[in-house]
Amino acid sequence: MEIRLEKFSKSFGPVNAIEDMDLAIGDGEMIALLGPSGCGKTTTLYAICGLHRVSAGRIWFGDREVTHLVPQERKVGVVFQSFALYPHLSTFENIAFPLQIRKESNADIERKVKDIANTLHIEELLGRRPGQLSGGQQQRVALARALVRRPDVLLMDEPLANLDAGLRLEMRSEIRRIQRESGCTSILVTHDQVEAMSMCDRIALMHKGKIQQIGTPDEMYHQPKNKFIAGFIGNPPISFADGVVEDGRFVAQGLSFELPDQIKGASVSAGQKIAIGVRPEYLQPDFATAIEGEVTFIESQGREILYDLKLGGGQIFRSIQSSEQTCKLGDQIHWGIDVNSVFFFDEQGVRL
Amino acid sequence: MLPASVTVTLFFVIPVMMTFVFSFTTMSSDTGILGNRYIVTKATILDLTEHGIDAALVRQLGHKVFRFNDAGLAKIREIGLDSSLVKEIEEKLSGDEFASEKALFAALKQLINRPRSFKHRKAISKSVVNTITNQEFRTAAAFRAGLVANGIKVDDATFGQLLDLTNTSWRWTTDNYVELLASDFTFKILANTAFYVFFTLLFNVGFALVLALATFYMPSGQSKFFRAVWLIPRISPSVIYVMLWKWFTFDSGFMSYFLGSLGVEPENWLNEFPWTFVIIVNGFVGASMGMIIFASAVLAIPADVLRAAEVDGAYPMQQVRRIILPLMAWPILFITSYQTLSLLTSFEYILLLTDGGPGFFTTETWALNAYHTALSNYFGNLRYGFGATLAVVLVFFGVALSLLYLRLFDFKKLVAEPLIEN
Repeated sequence: MEIRLEKFSKSFGPVNAIEDMDLAIGDGEMIALLGPSGCGKTTTLYAICGLHRVSAGRIWFGDREVTHLVPQERKVGVVFQSFALYPHLSTFENIAFPLQIRKESNADIERKVKDIANTLHIEELLGRRPGQLSGGQQQRVALARALVRRPDVLLMDEPLANLDAGLRLEMRSEIRRIQRESGCTSILVTHDQVEAMSMCDRIALMHKGKIQQIGTPDEMYHQPKNKFIAGFIGNPPISFADGVVEDGRFVAQGLSFELPDQIKGASVSAGQKIAIGVRPEYLQPDFATAIEGEVTFIESQGREILYDLKLGGGQIFRSIQSSEQTCKLGDQIHWGIDVNSVFFFDEQGVRL
Repeated sequence: MLPASVTVTLFFVIPVMMTFVFSFTTMSSDTGILGNRYIVTKATILDLTEHGIDAALVRQLGHKVFRFNDAGLAKIREIGLDSSLVKEIEEKLSGDEFASEKALFAALKQLINRPRSFKHRKAISKSVVNTITNQEFRTAAAFRAGLVANGIKVDDATFGQLLDLTNTSWRWTTDNYVELLASDFTFKILANTAFYVFFTLLFNVGFALVLALATFYMPSGQSKFFRAVWLIPRISPSVIYVMLWKWFTFDSGFMSYFLGSLGVEPENWLNEFPWTFVIIVNGFVGASMGMIIFASAVLAIPADVLRAAEVDGAYPMQQVRRIILPLMAWPILFITSYQTLSLLTSFEYILLLTDGGPGFFTTETWALNAYHTALSNYFGNLRYGFGATLAVVLVFFGVALSLLYLRLFDFKKLVAEPLIEN
């Protein structure tokens, strides 16, 4: 089902958590609400499921307006960070709970619970209590409970945060598989860009109560709209440097290069302060535009090696290289950047 | 383990054992709590004939003789009479015997320095009287010696009988239990107790739950205020609290005044509906305690669990019934059993409010009856032994109910698994 937020605002007393947010999620799509803590992503999720009242704007589930409906009257499935299983009920009873509340027949409940348990591979856990389940099993039960009544939208609030690293990886693909199989429109709230990028069709990146950009993971990475997005997405993160435009060149202390044509031809004027962003993979030993600096940090991640390069102006540039380590700490070296892949931002942080 | 068992032994096992032991005695304020005491009283003398003791012996036992022998004269010297009178008694009466006090007094009247005050005459009479009657002996041997001193000869069989009949101290008996079973009041008081405990408990726990849940769904400022208000009965001194209720329900009290403005005749409402007020007065006190425990138990339920219930479609009443109450099984068990036991054994509010009345045993409960029997008996002696019997029955009920609760709430299952993960 298609989910739409129209000019949605939420304030807590004098604090405006969300202002005039528009968001449309296609039928069967899985979207991530990504952002640092305090950006309003959980608030948005709670507004969609009805736990928070909306201050202004409207929320649509398909053709049905649900803005002022209580959670009980919306058809939503929610997976909470703590899983929030009912500790006194067995797995079966936990999953059956939403169906029992709506007084479905026992035969229906039995069938539906068995079906969903099948999909989630938890058939043999149906008799156990939540206290007897591991974290990953609890997660599956929570997911089953959220999905069992075929909700209009599946909402997940940091569903992987309480799992250990190995399980997180496994559940990432599991959740995606189950979401695809059920075809349920889904919203994933997370602060982890890897989760967002690996699990979702699109990402809505939020910052200070506003959606900064919505797009596919690829777009977010390669076409960030502003400095915040470029800085938030990507790991290891992008490196920034401030400078000015002089004679069609970017000039900063210890760093200067010819601006690419599309930037030169666009809105930059001489003397304008701009910033550049260089992703670590576009700073390599053999790239064209040479820069010089001192290696201040080396971290081997096994397959790849991460370097910090300190430029003359004191800016730190990161580089990630897959080849063998070519230099050591303290070396003065000349590497190059790929100017065509560098992001340019104006003073307000908007990408040029 | 050791400190626990010492504490349990000191403060539970030993008191219970002592109560059990006392319940098999006839101890009362009449018998005292010390051991053997043999007294021939006027009442026993009447009994003796009925028990087939020889009439001549009975007469001897009741016999008094006033004898001016050395021992008697020595006692007279101690009284502090005029020395002239003492001297005269020694000269004139030494060696005399009188069969009655009347004759003695007549003889005293003849003396030149005769005692003017009745007090002195009585003191002289007391000094020279020789009788077994009303003398207290602590051992059988002393009793025997006393008999011999009074010139009473008895054979061993009769002496044994006498020992038995004149012993006014407590003795071992099972009659307390027989009496309890036979008494017409036992059932009445038992029914009163069951009624009182059941309905007060219902009020207590139910009202506490309602308060806790109602305040849970309130904004926090208001809920704090309401909880504080309901604590007032608990923290006010019981005498003042009950006094206020009495003023409230007097025929010239607030309730009558208020109902009077609606055209209702003034009444002493407490006398009119004693049980209602006994239950309300106790219930309000207990409810505040339950409310605190339940309110914190509700707050201890993870917020996400309740949110999950909400998005799963459960409305507040369904949340309460299907999520909140089951998760509160523990505190409910605790409060129910705690309140049952405390209601069974505590009686100060009933004591202050109705003292078991109005009328005869209307609101008398078991614990109050034990108190009345053993420590505050309006009708006669304080019956420690019978009171202990009542207390033993109370202990028995208390333990039985505790076990029943543990079974009812599936105690083993509750302690076996962690209720809340994360």
